[in-house]
Amino acid sequence: MSSTLKSVARQLRAVWMLLLVGVILSIASPVFLTSTNLLNVGLATSVVALLAIGQTYIIILAEIDLSVGATLGFSSVVTALVLRDHGLLPALAAGLGVGAAVGLVNGLLVTRARMPSFIATLAMMSILSGMTLQLTDGNPVTIGDYDFQGIGQDYLAGIPVPVWVMVAGYAVFGVLLARTGFGRFVYATGDNLEAARLSGIRTRRVKVLAFVITGLLAALGGFILTARLSTAEPTAGTGLELESIAAVIIGGTSLAGGRGKLLGTLVGALVLGVIDNGMNLLDVSPFLQSVVKGVVILLAVFLDRNVDALRSMVAWRRPPLPSDPSTPDAVPASSPVPAARHTP
Amino acid sequence: MRLRLQDVTKSFGENSVLRGVTFEVGPGEVVALAGENGAGKSTLTRVISGAHQPDSGQVVIDDEPVTFKNPQAAMARGIEVIYQEFRQNLFPHLTVAENIHVLDRERRFGRLLVSRQRMAREARSALAALGMDDIDVLRPVGTLGVAQQQMVEIAKATSHDLRLLILDEPTAALDERESQQLFEQIRRLRAEGVSIVYISHRLDEIFELADRIVVLRDGLVALDSPTASTGPAQIVAAMVGSTVDNFYPKERNTGDQVVLRVRGAGSGSAFQGIDLDVRAGEVLGVGGVVGCGRSSLLRALFGLEPLTTGTVEVDGSPVPLRRIQDAIDSRIAYVTPDRQAEGLCPDLSVEANISLATLRRYTGPADLVRRDREREACGEVMSRLRVRTASREAAMTSLSGGNQQKALFAKWVLAGPRVLLLDEPTRGVDVGAKTEIYRIINQLTADGVAVVLVSSDLPELVAMSDRAVVMRQGRLVAEMAGDRLSEQSVLEHALVGAA
Repeated sequence: MSSTLKSVARQLRAVWMLLLVGVILSIASPVFLTSTNLLNVGLATSVVALLAIGQTYIIILAEIDLSVGATLGFSSVVTALVLRDHGLLPALAAGLGVGAAVGLVNGLLVTRARMPSFIATLAMMSILSGMTLQLTDGNPVTIGDYDFQGIGQDYLAGIPVPVWVMVAGYAVFGVLLARTGFGRFVYATGDNLEAARLSGIRTRRVKVLAFVITGLLAALGGFILTARLSTAEPTAGTGLELESIAAVIIGGTSLAGGRGKLLGTLVGALVLGVIDNGMNLLDVSPFLQSVVKGVVILLAVFLDRNVDALRSMVAWRRPPLPSDPSTPDAVPASSPVPAARHTP
Repeated sequence: MRLRLQDVTKSFGENSVLRGVTFEVGPGEVVALAGENGAGKSTLTRVISGAHQPDSGQVVIDDEPVTFKNPQAAMARGIEVIYQEFRQNLFPHLTVAENIHVLDRERRFGRLLVSRQRMAREARSALAALGMDDIDVLRPVGTLGVAQQQMVEIAKATSHDLRLLILDEPTAALDERESQQLFEQIRRLRAEGVSIVYISHRLDEIFELADRIVVLRDGLVALDSPTASTGPAQIVAAMVGSTVDNFYPKERNTGDQVVLRVRGAGSGSAFQGIDLDVRAGEVLGVGGVVGCGRSSLLRALFGLEPLTTGTVEVDGSPVPLRRIQDAIDSRIAYVTPDRQAEGLCPDLSVEANISLATLRRYTGPADLVRRDREREACGEVMSRLRVRTASREAAMTSLSGGNQQKALFAKWVLAGPRVLLLDEPTRGVDVGAKTEIYRIINQLTADGVAVVLVSSDLPELVAMSDRAVVMRQGRLVAEMAGDRLSEQSVLEHALVGAA
């Protein structure tokens, strides 16, 4: 199977999952398939979906960003505070500036200070959530600006603005990842850092840029969340980093780096959104909702990891003979001469 | 212990590495094992140590045929190997005593709780028996020097009932004094009746230590004779053998203009004082044993390792070489010897791999990749280099080793280099692909590219080079061309210096 087919198949798994959940819910609840409810799903998904864009870049680079939720929270309160005193445009600039700065610091910590991204962004998450609480004394910052609220509450052609923002985000960053030189460098760097470096790619710069993009999108997600609630909650971003990672993984992106598509992430985010929505419709206790989501994530990753084994177990297709010369995939990557590597 | 291998064969897929080797080592005998890269030395030791099982033939110990299912089974019979990368077998954060007794198969130090005192005591006596009582057994192994670490590894081997010790290039990381200490230990073990198989490319060591020398070539024993009645020339001839002449389709394309000029290049202790002139269309071979500095030299010329002294010019313009991009901008290309680790992106398509170093040529407005241009350029170079693939969209891993290597070449051919640095360009590829790679080198030299070729495959080095230099311990020690360029002369300069 060619690599494109494989990657399409990977994302198809997420699509199948989305369809499966959708079919079950449309049977279980008459409300599910109404356009109002579907737009609600889109609205509710938009924030996580935006965070998951950046997270996809980061995970393709074989890194992780645990600070996106905290970045969202911190940039939200900064935006709200600036909005109160200085108006809309400075507020937007401040929010995006905070997001970009956090991403820059994360990127430099990972590339220049050579810290594992898991640790660097974990620490950043702690720092930012603390700073958010310090800045607000733990109180929400309310928003009175109608224009700003519009980002979260207005409709355009019958569709909520956040859904438009989400769609635009996926279009722009989808093209950036799939069609541009920068996108190619992201894949190459995540796939084999040394090979990318030896091809003249400035791998550190690529990583820093990806972290900056992630920070910017976290700030954008913050705008939407704050505008929808008309309040900047200091704890607004808590847990969103894990949701965004889950969306990326359900969407078929490999944690090992080098593989994944942005469209898969969107489907992954929608799967999570639909499950949330469905459980609300079915009046599942909020405590249990988290259990169900965890199970779904496990199931999605389990299927992803074991699909080949499962397939041959249920004998959908007979497994190819090991010495079948007609399957080029069976050719080993390295020729089997471990014999004489270090002898003259 | 008398160990005998009788007509042992071993293949990996299509590749037969041992083709009927009969090899014997008696009690208290030191047998040196020599041979070129790929001759089968490592496979042979792996068969002895139980890491590989022979396809056919027998392993006989003291007249009793044995089958080792795994290295543990061989160790139980007292067979131990000290690999060249022995440090991979040590636990740097554990103490010397813990490392020496790490296996403790007999649970001598307690089943549940381990007696550290007894462990330390026994480790001390094991080291004392080697005359190494100055090593503190409570220090973490990682804090010791290389030679002392090696002694720990030997003490580990001798802490059991050692009958046969295999040493693979044991002096590669040691200085002269440390080597002499090691030889002392080897002689001591021999006197105790331990059999020794000593793998080395250093002829002086072989003559100093070995009772008998065995040379492998292409999976067969090419020479088996007592050291006393063998001369260096005989060994070298046995290693080199006779080669098929027309296997190398060498074309002579050397022009007049000097393309690559290196003056006084040095990098720490890796190499010093290197002067090179490589002309347009010329292939300059660099000979020398592993670790002589030639690979570091190529990496430094590509900006991968710092060049601490000296200057590099391409076509008369100085090259700064602060980073890789400087080298690429000066049209220097480098084909890495390790294409898995640093050559290719396995999950990217063949096409994306090939265009990776030149992608900026195919990007238009908004950094968008112009796929049509990219496809055209890649398609052209792929057919020129005969990279065979099911589809250009196919992932790199779906290609055979030879085609992967050609794809790696294609990446750099596409860049249009003036200087091409090749380190082991045919490692791990089959014979057919080798010939095609030689043709690619011919094509490039015909276009006036200056090529620097590092290869451990001596026949290849000699046949494909117009001129060759030999490096030893980081310095150029010889230069030869024409009739004086032969496998013997390269090997002699690489191994012993004065020929």
